[in-house]
Order: sequence, then C-alpha cells, then structure tokens
Amino acid sequence: MKFSIDRAALLRAVNHVQGVVEKRNTVPILSNVLMKAEDGVLALAATDMDLEINEAVAAQIDQPGATTVPAHMLHDIVRKLPDGSSVSFILDPDGHSMSVKAGRSNFKLSCLPIADFPEIGAGELPSEFSISSSDLRGLIDRTKFAMSTEETRYYLNGIYLHAFENEGVHLLRAVATDGHRLSRYEMPCPTGAEGIPGIIIPRKAILEIRKLVEEAADTIKINISESKIRFTFDHIVMTSKLIDGTFPDYDRVIPKGNDKIVELDAKAFTSAIDRVSTISDGKTRAVKIAMNGKVMTLSASTPEAGSATEEVEIASDANMEIGFNARYLLDITSQIEGDGCRMTLADSASPTIIQDNSDPSALYVLMPLRV
Amino acid sequence: MRIRHLPDTLINQIAAGEVIERPAAAIKELVENSIDAGATQINIDIHDGGKSYMCVADNGFGMNREELIACLDRHATSKLPDNDLLHIENLGFRGEALPSIASVSRMEIFTYSKDDRSAWQIRVEGGKKSDPMPSSHPSGTKIEIRDLFFATPARLKFLKTDRSENMAIKDMILRLAMAAPHIGFTLQFDGKKNLNLSPSSQEERLGLLLGREFPQNAMPILAVRDTIKLEGLASLPTYNKGNALSQYLFVNGRAVKDRLLLGALKGAYCDVLARDRYPVAALFLTLSPEDVDVNVHPAKAEVRFREAAHIRGLLVSTIRHALLEHGGRSASSVQSPLQNLITQNQSRVNQEYTPQTLPYHTIEYASGAPNHRNQAMAEAVQNIYNAPHTLPPSSKCEIIPEENNNIKDFPLGAARAQIHENYIISQTNDGMVMIDQHAAHERLVYERFKRQFSENNIAVQGLLTPEIIELDPLKTENLLSYQDDLKAYGLDIDAFGTQAISVSAIPALLGGNIDIKRLIHDIIDEIEDKGSTKLLEDKIFEILSRRACHGSIRSGRRMSADEMNHLLRDMEATPLSGQCNHGRPTYIKLSLNDIEKLFKRR
Repeated sequence: MKFSIDRAALLRAVNHVQGVVEKRNTVPILSNVLMKAEDGVLALAATDMDLEINEAVAAQIDQPGATTVPAHMLHDIVRKLPDGSSVSFILDPDGHSMSVKAGRSNFKLSCLPIADFPEIGAGELPSEFSISSSDLRGLIDRTKFAMSTEETRYYLNGIYLHAFENEGVHLLRAVATDGHRLSRYEMPCPTGAEGIPGIIIPRKAILEIRKLVEEAADTIKINISESKIRFTFDHIVMTSKLIDGTFPDYDRVIPKGNDKIVELDAKAFTSAIDRVSTISDGKTRAVKIAMNGKVMTLSASTPEAGSATEEVEIASDANMEIGFNARYLLDITSQIEGDGCRMTLADSASPTIIQDNSDPSALYVLMPLRV
Repeated sequence: MRIRHLPDTLINQIAAGEVIERPAAAIKELVENSIDAGATQINIDIHDGGKSYMCVADNGFGMNREELIACLDRHATSKLPDNDLLHIENLGFRGEALPSIASVSRMEIFTYSKDDRSAWQIRVEGGKKSDPMPSSHPSGTKIEIRDLFFATPARLKFLKTDRSENMAIKDMILRLAMAAPHIGFTLQFDGKKNLNLSPSSQEERLGLLLGREFPQNAMPILAVRDTIKLEGLASLPTYNKGNALSQYLFVNGRAVKDRLLLGALKGAYCDVLARDRYPVAALFLTLSPEDVDVNVHPAKAEVRFREAAHIRGLLVSTIRHALLEHGGRSASSVQSPLQNLITQNQSRVNQEYTPQTLPYHTIEYASGAPNHRNQAMAEAVQNIYNAPHTLPPSSKCEIIPEENNNIKDFPLGAARAQIHENYIISQTNDGMVMIDQHAAHERLVYERFKRQFSENNIAVQGLLTPEIIELDPLKTENLLSYQDDLKAYGLDIDAFGTQAISVSAIPALLGGNIDIKRLIHDIIDEIEDKGSTKLLEDKIFEILSRRACHGSIRSGRRMSADEMNHLLRDMEATPLSGQCNHGRPTYIKLSLNDIEKLFKRR
C-alpha cells in the first residue's frame, strides 16, 4: 500500500474517527484505525464495538492496500505536522509496519492485520428518513444534558427517540431524563420516520454525532432498525448499536395540573441564578426561590461563606417558595434562546415545568430541592 | 425403632457435645465454678494441650460429702437459690458442666469443706462414679481431668494441635482473669509456668494482660444510666489493630462475644478509624440480672438484652463522649517505636515504664448533656490565644522572642520550624511536638464540614419518578421502621404495597450518580446485621471526608510561623483533632523526659 494525501484533509478525517476510539483497550485492534486505499479514496474506520465510524477522503493512491495503525498516535502525528504539507504512507512489504513521511519528518508505525478488525456497521436498516442538521442539533442540544450517567439504570444513559401521532399531526420526539430532571423536544416528523420504533440512542453516539454535525452538510440521512442506528452525510457513515431496554413512560412524569404560572426574562433569570449560586455549597448548589407578587427573590446561603440574594421581575400572581439545584436550573435556562421563559409550578415539593416562550418544541421538567 | 429414653451417660455426652467442645471450654466451666465458689487463687495446670491432663485447683468454699456426690448429677447446682432463671447472679446456673465433662473423661475431685471439716475425694470414669473416699486436701476444690474425650473418640479427632489448644485455653483464662482482677491466677503448660497473676486492681490487670502501653493509650470509660453501668478502657483511635481479637467485652462479669456490643463498638469509632482498623477495648457492662438473658447460648458466649437499643446507645454515646474528650490526645505508643528505633542498635535497652494512672471521668447522662469539660478547655485555650503574639514569618526556623514565650503554654506549643515541607516542629513547656500538617489540616476541614452539615438543613433532591425497590415483606417492614431516621438524612422512603418500597427523594449531596437500589439494599443489610443503620451518615461523611482531603493544605506547602501557629491553635480548639480521618495520628508528642531518655540522661 502506498498513497499520499494533503495533511489538512487527513487531519479532518482522522479527527472525526479517532473520537470513537477509547483511550484504553483490552483488545489491541480496537486502539487502531483501519486505513483502506483504493480508487483514489482513502477510507478510514474506527470502532469501540458499539459505535463505528467510516469516513472517506480523496487521496493520491499509488498502490492500493489496507492496514490498521494506532488511532490516537496517528492523530497526534498528523496534528503536529506543519500545515500545508503532503503526507505519504508506505506499508512495508511484510505488513508489520507503515512509514509516514512529511517533509523531513519520518515515522514508522506498527500495524495490525485488517482481518482482526471488527465490523459492526454492516446490515440492512429498514427505516430511513432525512433530517436537517439544524433540527438534529436542536434535538440533541435540548435534551442531552438530562441524560443519566448512572450505569445501573442503563436505559436512561441516552436519548429516547420515537414518533407519534397527535390529532393527525406526526411528531418526532426526543426525551432524556436522569430521575431528577427531564427534557423533551419535539418536531414535525420527517417523512419516512412515522413508523420508526422507539429507540434509545446511547450517550457516546449522541456526543460523537453532535461533534460531527457541527460541520456537516444540510441534511443527514438516518437509518434505523430494532438494534442499530446509522447516520449518513457527506463522506461519513456512523453506525451505533442501540440501548436494549425500555424507556420509562415519561409522559406520566410531566405534571398536568400545575396552576401557578410565572413568566420571566430568561437571560436575567440565568445570570441571577449564576451569581447567587456562587455562595451555595459546591455539591448541592441549593438556590431558594421566593415569589411574591411581581418579584422573584433568589437566595443562597452557607453559614461559613455568607449569603446572597437577587431579585428578578416576574409576571405572575404566584406566592410561594421553592428550592432547586442551581446547576440543574442553569442546564435548562441556558437552553432557552428566546427572551422569555415560563415556569409552571404546583408546590414546593412537586415537579416544575420550564418552557421557552419563543420555542414551544422544548419542555423541561425539574424536581425541586428541599432545603 | 421405637422412641425411648436415652441412658443418663449418653444424655451427658450429648450435653458435653454442646458445652464442652474443646479443652478450653472445659477449663472455662471449671474456672467459672471456682470463681463462683468465692476463690481468691486459682491454679491451672495443663498437659498436652489439655488432652492428657488438666487440673484446676482453687481455695474456694469447697463441698461436703453429699454435695460432692450430687454435683456429678445432671442439673444439680448450688447456684439458683430461688429457682429463678431471671435472677442469675453466678457465672454458672445450669448444673450441666461437671456431669458433662465427667461423662467424656476420667475425673477426680478433691474437696475440703469447712462445714464438714474433712476432705473427700471422688473418681468418675466416663460418667460412672465411685463412692466418695476420705482424703487429705487442704482447702477448696481441686479437679483433675485425665484423657478428656476418651469416651467420644470422634471429638478427640477434631481437636487441633496442642499449641492451638493451649492458645485457646490461655485466651479463655485471660478473659476470665480480666473480669476477676481480685483473684490470683497461675497457668502452667506442661510443667512450665505461663501466667502468674496476683490479685490486683482492674487497671493493673488490664495492663498486664493487654500490654503495658494499653492503659497509657486508652481512655477510661465510665457511664451510669439508670441501673446500667459501663466501665473499662477503650483505646485512643491512634492505638488500633488490624483485627477485632483485642476487644474484650464483659456482661455482669461474664466474657461474651456479642455481635450487638461489638457492632456498637465499631460504630462508635467509625468516624475516627479506617474501616479495616479495630480499636482495643476491655469494657465491663453491669446491669441488673433481670435485664439480660444469659440462657441463650450453650457456652454463654452470647447474651440477649431486654433493651438492646438502649445498651447500644449507651455504649456508642459513652465512647463518643470519651473520644471527644480525649480528641486532642494522640497515642503516646508511637513514641515507643520511635524510642525502639533509636535504641535498637545500642547494646542495652533500658526502658522503664511507669504506668500512668488515668483519672476516671464520670459522665452522668441525663439526655445527652453537652460536654462542659471540653467546652471549658476550649475556652481556656481561647483565652490564652487572645493574648497578642506575632512572630516573624519564615518557612524554615523560628526564634520565639522572649515576650512571646507564653504561647509555649498551649498544649501544642509554639511552632519552631517546618521540615520536609510537611512536618511542623513545635516546642511546648515540657517537650516537643511533631505535627503532620496535611493530616492535621484535613481533619480540621473535615470537622468543619461535619459541623456545617449538621447545622444546615439537609438539601433533599426529589425524584421525578419514585424508585420502586422490591423487597420481601419482612425486609420492607424492617426498613420502614427506620423511615424517620432515614428521612432525617434526606432519604424519603414509603411503603409501596407490602413487598416493595418507593424512594421519592435522596440527599442532594449524593448527587445524580448514585445507585439507589444498591444503597437501599446496603442499608437493609446493615440493619439486619447491626440492628441499626448509620450507612447513610457514613456515605455522606465519606463524601465530606473526600472533599476535606481536597480542600486541605498538602504536604509540600511551605508555611509561615503565623500559619503554623494558627493551625496548632485550631487543632487545640477542634475535637477529635488527634487523628486524621483514617486513624493515623496527626501529631506526636515527645516529652522532655522522653528526649532525655533517648540521650541516656535518665
């Protein structure tokens, strides 16, 4: 195998695929990236057995072939090479090592045979639909912060995606919760997605695809089966296994009877929480909120450090007190892009709904903190 | 086969199977008899691990001819005068031991009773007794046992080596001797004297048996609540061991291995010792016989309390109070390894210990009265502290100006130097102190966190969906009886049917990454094991302790004299500052006396 490629193009592609490769592996081949050169294209692939990414990039192929090299090392090398250089790769005839040359730099990387490289991406994924990259970004951003990292409840370690019909309108919904808060985002169902099964996309796939769509083309093709999801765009194909579990009936968690409605300025609210919580205890981050007429008073205190209060104007006739974890509140309010947000409360021990006035597609539920 | 009555010898052998499982158990029964007989001197002689010959001789009140014959019959005893099992004031009461031992060995009893004014002897072989014969015996009773277990060869086969049997016998004698300091004991193995204890005070006896450094490194414990009295010695946290073998517990003078008491002891120390370290303790619990049932275990190693929670609470709170009171003290035993280290290479080690007599503090409990003594000390320290003092800053060596000499009056003295960027050397009026700055500061921060935690309301994070945990009905009921205790720490549980509980809120400090199901199961395990739960508190304190470690100054940090002195004053004012969160000492005190010894000036 022998080929050469522009450093910038290679770096972009290697950067994409190496995110999938775990830092530490018990199976050596999983630390490697697969490189296949043929027909003027260099194809890269990396996997952690649950998530696989393939990317193709144009290269000048002198002699076709394939091998695998350590992914993070390759990434570091290409990253440190001078911009604008051309990198040439030559696989030794015995296949045990590959030399990498750029300018006067010379590296020799040890290789592992491609026969050992696992492939999980293959197979037919029957449901297919397309989604715009901005919709996918919104869907992920509005929900991903609520994903749980607690591994015994593995079915919460991801985003639940399902399609449903409401009064003749087909909607696609993404939901995430960690038991303390819940986020729900809905959008008009893309054509072809109406019949998809409810799936849980694992955390790692969510975080990786979110990085990739940042620089992606306008539309992203998504294929889904009972056990896998595949994202296809530009020259990238990412396939992930799905979490095999049942997502809880989240609709029951969303309170229906909350009657106290508070309208307030999202930006002012966010920065007030941020300021007041400077005082609160590092781990619990408790912030108290008292509402009285047209004023909301946020307060925090620790006996040693001191106390803080800040007032925020509200449009409401609610008269109550409630406590929250400031970090949870900020996670939610920082997703609100419009000027106004609405809190819908019942009492100091019941879940509270928070919504963006300018964007009805997202809904957040937060459980209060009893302080 | 028809149901029939077993012959007496067989019945005794069956009883022996329960009570006399090894030579040490036989010795225990015999020595307890001697103690119950009012002896002041008991001599024990063992050959071949007790397999070939054992002899227990006392100077108690002995038996007359009739008693001598009767004592070998089952359930014949002098120890239940009122026929009331609720009123057991002796160590024995069942009247089973002698016939049981006699049924599996060759036994000879020599006894002299004052009211008979003559001595008798009797011989029993495998349960068959001869007629008593007149004998010549000076006073008390002597029992010789030959060929123990000859009648039950299976039991004989399961005995361990002579050495381990000797060890078990010695351990048994130690326990009995601890509880009866007024009695002299001698113990011989194969003709060689192993133990010779003359009658002495409780504390001397403990010192002799547990090592001389124990009383010096122990806190005197004395508490009286209603009719219950707890006394004894418990080690300072810095004086600890890798196993629980050195924990001696006595209930009404009877050595017991009771899980409730051992668990309470561990619980009392849990905040100052690492999980795998154990305090050394000898604790004597005295309560009226009606409040304790000793008739629950064949060898009486376990007892049952009428008010177990009450006893547990007394033990835990008494030791905790003592820990607080002695919180500033750090084990002085670390000095002896130090001295050993220095004197090791010298030809003659001549160390004289003068066992210190520690004052016994009486703590009268009304209902958790505040610890005035400690407060007074803190105030006194505060007063000295208010005197102005400033020292020129330096991280190497400090000269204290004359006018500031009064800061040497503080228990931890005046910081003189910091060495290896971790150890503070300070000078006191009567010696010097070395302080581990990281360990000390970590403890101070931890204590501050704990104080804040208890002063603040506990922040409780509600759960969107209650976590339902399925349990069997007994466990559910058991757990629910601790509902209020758990709620106080921020864990809200409720019944969910009879076979499950629902968790609706958790302490916010535990964060979002906690496995609630496992937490609940761990709490249940602890309740079942110890009859109470401190797990949640432990978990929370563990988090605080971890944060304390991150939030405290590390070794390698250079400190100015002011900083060092400030640390020392903080340590004096903080309870439990004598050890870090893992039971290591935070400081070591060397008295001038010790220093002079090291230099052979004394």
